[in-house]
Amino acid sequence: MSNNLDDQLRGALRSVDPDDGFSERVTSRIARHSRRSQWSAPSGFRWLSAAVVAAVVLGVLMAHDWQLRREQQGLDARKQLIEALRVTGEKLDLAYRVVNDDAHSAASENSGA
Amino acid sequence: MTEAERCAPEDSLSRAAAGESAAFTALVRKHQRLVYSLALRMLSDRHKAEDLAQDVFLQLHRNLVSIESDAHLSFWLRKVTINRAIDRLRREPKYEIVSLQESLALVSEVRDDDLLLQRLLRDLVGRLPPAPRAVVVLRYQEDLNPTEIARTLSMSINTVKSHLKRSLAILREQVGGADTAGPNPTAAKLDPSTGKQRSLT
Repeated sequence: MSNNLDDQLRGALRSVDPDDGFSERVTSRIARHSRRSQWSAPSGFRWLSAAVVAAVVLGVLMAHDWQLRREQQGLDARKQLIEALRVTGEKLDLAYRVVNDDAHSAASENSGA
Repeated sequence: MTEAERCAPEDSLSRAAAGESAAFTALVRKHQRLVYSLALRMLSDRHKAEDLAQDVFLQLHRNLVSIESDAHLSFWLRKVTINRAIDRLRREPKYEIVSLQESLALVSEVRDDDLLLQRLLRDLVGRLPPAPRAVVVLRYQEDLNPTEIARTLSMSINTVKSHLKRSLAILREQVGGADTAGPNPTAAKLDPSTGKQRSLT
């Protein structure tokens, strides 16, 4: 048996054919694969598409950032205007009081005399 | 036989590389037995072997321009098929565990019929680890010598010889044990935890 092992192995491992229609299955698979490759965009076009998408996304982000900054500037300006109006109001109030007090004391002096 | 199949191998190769589908189909028909058999002996499964063989020819179709001759094509197909099979075996769960009863039943019938012995040998070869299995398949299916096997598998000749020697010793031990002792539990390597036969590592 042992002396015969080589021959037995050759017999056991002899070549076999695949099921009928193997070459047709291979060629149809290659055809399917080729069609898929044709439908998928060439690599240069894919890079261009990716660059356009990236540019659009970047543009949207920059516009959003610009809008936020504009809104912040508007809020700051509003705060400054309110502060200016408050200071002006205080000054006007002070001036009114000074004028009113002077007029009141002058009238008191005239009535006393 | 088609016109593409009748023409000289190199001619068929160059026509296939130029995009002639009939010439490529002829190449597939000519080499399908080689590729499918290697895949089948490596994977021990007809469906997986068919799938792998198709993958190999798909890869060939993409690399036709790099093939220089018919001899180079045969070498390339053997190399790619075996490497893909080894990759697949390494990705999949280790080795199939066969129940002791099933194996002993097969062994006990061996003495009666050479076909059953061949079936047992295929089963045992299919349980060798991937690299030694590839060496045995290339040696006994493709009839390659150790130098050619070493070139195909990108390993040293000494490694090839060592794989061959050890694999044959294991096969001889398993088949010899079966032949002389019949259903002998010591002929099979048993896993003490499960009581099942282990792969021939």
